[in-house]
Amino acid sequence: MESILSNLLLIAWLLPLASFCVILFFGPRLGAAGRGAAYVATGAIGGGFVLSLISLLTWIGTHGVSGGHHPDAAEASHVSLSNHVPQDVFHFAAESKDSHSHDDTHHGHGHGHSSGPKDAYFGDWYTLVDFGRLKITIGYYVDALTVLMFTMVTLIASCIHFYAMGYMHEELHDVTDHEVTLSNGEHLHRKGRYYRFFQYLSLFCFSMLGIVIAGNIAMTFVFWELVGICSYFLIGFYIERKSASTAANKAFIVNRVGDFGMIIGLMALWGSLGTFSFGGEKNAAGEIIKPGIFAQARAAEDDYALKTPAGMLKRAEEMGAEDPEHIGHLLLIVAGLGIFCGCVGKSAQFPLHVWLPDAMEGPTPVSALVHSATMVAAGVFLVGRFYPMFTPEVLLTIAIIGCITLFMAATIAITATDIKRVLAYSTLSQLGYMMFALGVGGWVAGMLHLITHAFFKSLLFMCSGSVIHAVHTNEMTEMGGLRRKMPITAYTMLVGCLAIMGAGVPTIVGLSGYYSKDAILAQALHFGKNNATWDVMFYVAAAGAAVTAFYMFRLWFLTFIGEPRDPHRYDHAHESPRVMWMPLVVLAFFAIFVAMPADIENFTDPTASPMVQLLEQARPDGTGLDFSGQLAAITMPAEHGSHAEEIHLAAGMIAFGTAMFGLLLASCLYWWRILNPEEVRSMFAPIYRFLRNKWWFDELYETIFIRPTIFCGRCVAQFDQRGIDWMINGLASCTRTFTSGFDRWIDKIFVDGFVNWVAARTFAIGIWLRKPQTGRLRQYVVFIVIGTMAMYIVATFGLTN
Amino acid sequence: MTEILTSPVGLTHYLVVGAVMFVSGVVCMATKRNALGVLMGIELVLNGANLNFVAFGSNFLERNPTYQLGLDGQIISLFVIVLAAAEAAVALAIVLNFYNNHLTVDVDRADELRG
Amino acid sequence: MGEINGHAILFLFFGILTCLFSLAVVFSSNVVRMAFYLILALAATSGLHFLAGADFVGAMQLVLYVGGTLVLLVFGVMLTAQNPFISLRTAGGDWVVAAMVGGILLVILIPVAFQVGLPPTEASQLGGRADREAVTSTDPVSVPTATRIGLGLLGVPGDDVSGYLLPFEIISIHLLVVLVGAAYLARAKRRVTVRDTPGTADV
Repeated sequence: MESILSNLLLIAWLLPLASFCVILFFGPRLGAAGRGAAYVATGAIGGGFVLSLISLLTWIGTHGVSGGHHPDAAEASHVSLSNHVPQDVFHFAAESKDSHSHDDTHHGHGHGHSSGPKDAYFGDWYTLVDFGRLKITIGYYVDALTVLMFTMVTLIASCIHFYAMGYMHEELHDVTDHEVTLSNGEHLHRKGRYYRFFQYLSLFCFSMLGIVIAGNIAMTFVFWELVGICSYFLIGFYIERKSASTAANKAFIVNRVGDFGMIIGLMALWGSLGTFSFGGEKNAAGEIIKPGIFAQARAAEDDYALKTPAGMLKRAEEMGAEDPEHIGHLLLIVAGLGIFCGCVGKSAQFPLHVWLPDAMEGPTPVSALVHSATMVAAGVFLVGRFYPMFTPEVLLTIAIIGCITLFMAATIAITATDIKRVLAYSTLSQLGYMMFALGVGGWVAGMLHLITHAFFKSLLFMCSGSVIHAVHTNEMTEMGGLRRKMPITAYTMLVGCLAIMGAGVPTIVGLSGYYSKDAILAQALHFGKNNATWDVMFYVAAAGAAVTAFYMFRLWFLTFIGEPRDPHRYDHAHESPRVMWMPLVVLAFFAIFVAMPADIENFTDPTASPMVQLLEQARPDGTGLDFSGQLAAITMPAEHGSHAEEIHLAAGMIAFGTAMFGLLLASCLYWWRILNPEEVRSMFAPIYRFLRNKWWFDELYETIFIRPTIFCGRCVAQFDQRGIDWMINGLASCTRTFTSGFDRWIDKIFVDGFVNWVAARTFAIGIWLRKPQTGRLRQYVVFIVIGTMAMYIVATFGLTN
Repeated sequence: MTEILTSPVGLTHYLVVGAVMFVSGVVCMATKRNALGVLMGIELVLNGANLNFVAFGSNFLERNPTYQLGLDGQIISLFVIVLAAAEAAVALAIVLNFYNNHLTVDVDRADELRG
Repeated sequence: MGEINGHAILFLFFGILTCLFSLAVVFSSNVVRMAFYLILALAATSGLHFLAGADFVGAMQLVLYVGGTLVLLVFGVMLTAQNPFISLRTAGGDWVVAAMVGGILLVILIPVAFQVGLPPTEASQLGGRADREAVTSTDPVSVPTATRIGLGLLGVPGDDVSGYLLPFEIISIHLLVVLVGAAYLARAKRRVTVRDTPGTADV
């Protein structure tokens, strides 16, 4: 079982790498203008998807889709086939072992879980470094989350590969880039880079899957940086555009800030725990010789309660701390905050969120895959993976950061007019929701939102790409009424909008976003009830839900409803080719059904969803229980508490109400035109300016960081030019003056003199030796005789004594 | 003076005669302008050396027994004779060729290889 | 010192002849006479060979040298013996140089001859004498050397001869090649017109 899963995932992981290598070496020669590169890359990721799907089926076949570890659960499979199976995986699941214990209360799932360790397979494929205590390996850590993420990533990536085949077709021939003006006033004309796009995509898929499957935090970090560089390449795909190269640099540099924190976290971990491995290091026989970082923080004998690891206590004592317990706990907090710092950078959380909106300079498939569905979600994934190590204090920080991000990004999205920027801020906001959910203890809620969001946000981005492809502009103010021209895009996008807003019939059924958002809000409410100080975060999140609904439907209405604002563009608009709208339909399907409960009898219970159940299997050990912090007076409530009827119902109703409010407001403003947006805008002019300028974050950073840095740089440069250069130039000229004279003298007298002398001697000897060569036979005879005599004399008198 | 008539003939006698022949040959080679004269000088030199070989190989001569070549000396002198014959043939052919080309046998005219 | 040694008389006769005719070759300026004196000198040398007990070598000297090589030489003399070349005068300077070199060579060689050739004196008089008697007592005066030389040339090592089959074969091939080459070089061919150089103009 373990070898099957790990090998399947290994192949699925390495296929994109193979594709990358093939395209790297043979890219331009694959078919006409590199067209074959798309088939190679798509085939590789499609193969990866199939393998991931098989491994998911294998997992379900072994573990079922029940959240806890109920030994009697399998007997309860008497449920008829559901008509609403969202995916054939779940179809299989529902058929074979739909294993809910239907008499369970909602509490049952969580309780059952805390009874035993979760199923996870881990091991190493290859040891990169092994000296001293440091051991860095290429390994795997496979649990339900890994398998789910694999399937999700490969599925979305496959869809986007197909989509990109259509979207990027302009790169098949030479491109004239109208956004780049050369110095001679002409537009840039360059060769198409079709194959290179797919090359980067393949490398990205490989790196992303590497993060997901990573068996230790060091390996995660390696692939973390790899997705960073892929993101850099892909944002800067139109490298000739100033905005694109700047955005690529910005993304890379901002990520460095986060990664710096992550390295600090890694150092804290390794310095105190002596291992990077999640699960533990095994010897050849498969026995665990060194417990992993999770086991050190939450030991099985402590019933998986979070304790400061012994290694950190020891390290604290070595540092001479008076209170090792306290310092060790601080060390744990530092490690957690450090890792989270990396996640802040990668997932573009406040205050490092500024790079993500600019990253929309990349081609739209990239935005859909990298900057909404997968890479930016990697930060959330890592927080989820690293969850056992986070103390309540760290979790509170995560929650606060997520809360700020979700509200801030949502408000900025209201005023943005670039269709991709609206979606980018929406992505920020949704990532904030995920972080927030994790921070308030909702592990499953956060992960569920990660998966549902991946589907509907990639759908939204691809729809926006389809629109941009049709009208050749990003500005929503130049669109309008496109519903009639491109119905498939319009209605799949409507599905996406409904999903992201969390549309559904309360307590009964909804789109995927409905389940995840309700779970987040319920946990937030639960958290607020336990920690009265922080219950404001729930209200912020609820308000964010309203804003989400508002800006999404503002986007949809502006784009597809009403009269065309730019008739010229409207006339040229057309529905995208089939290779582009087929993935939209597929993703719309998943955006609707991916989180839906699979069996009819328990249909209204959101925790009955197979997706939720699978995630419950992956819940880290010990996080299903309440636990409280040492430093701050907070209690991290167990997630199953949020499934209580009164909390869940209240949260659901509030979520529904706020979403409806946002939707109605958007309809009033942009559909029915009851209110004039212009008037509203002028009424709230200061707020509008504030939001329009993105909370002045860029300006703030410009003032705080960039200007002082440039000033410092200028000072140093001045010193360099005036001081150091002067000195060095002076020294150099002195040396030159001195040496040029000395050197010439030495050169003439000794070097040239010697060479000339040798030459002259050689010539003279040649002339001298030429004289005996008279060509006269008789003289030669004399010479021979003289030579013989000389030899004789030398032999007689010269050698004998 | 009569001692030379009464004492047994030794190796020295032969070597002296060989030396005289050898020096005669050398001087001959060094002085004759006629190519054939030079060839004759070579023959004299070879014969002088040959005589030494025979003398060293001979059992009939008064000598220090350290220098005893035995029959090998005679065989070597035979080889020398044969080589001298061959050399004479080739050298003569060369001289004739030279004569054909230059209408002279004066070796001083054959100085095209001078430095 | 004793009665006159017949061996010594014969040696003196042939040795003096050899030296005289050799010097005659040197000092004669007529090429035809030089050839004649050379024949006599070589014939006298063969006499010396006989005296040293080398009967086969002496015979070969007569047959090959006097009868073969020199005949060849004489033919050469006759082929080229046109008036201007019969006696080419050599410059006096050349004579002086040659005489000096030859004299010094002789001065070196004669002492060496005495050094090498004399039997051991005083200190090893007795041993040398004994050796000489041993040599003379075992002296196989009447044994002809031809058979032993022949065996030696065929590679059969004897008492005082090594095997010489390989040099024999090499020399035979050598002789063949040389003769072919000589025939090739000396073959009659069209005379090349002489360039009118200053050197040949006054000949």
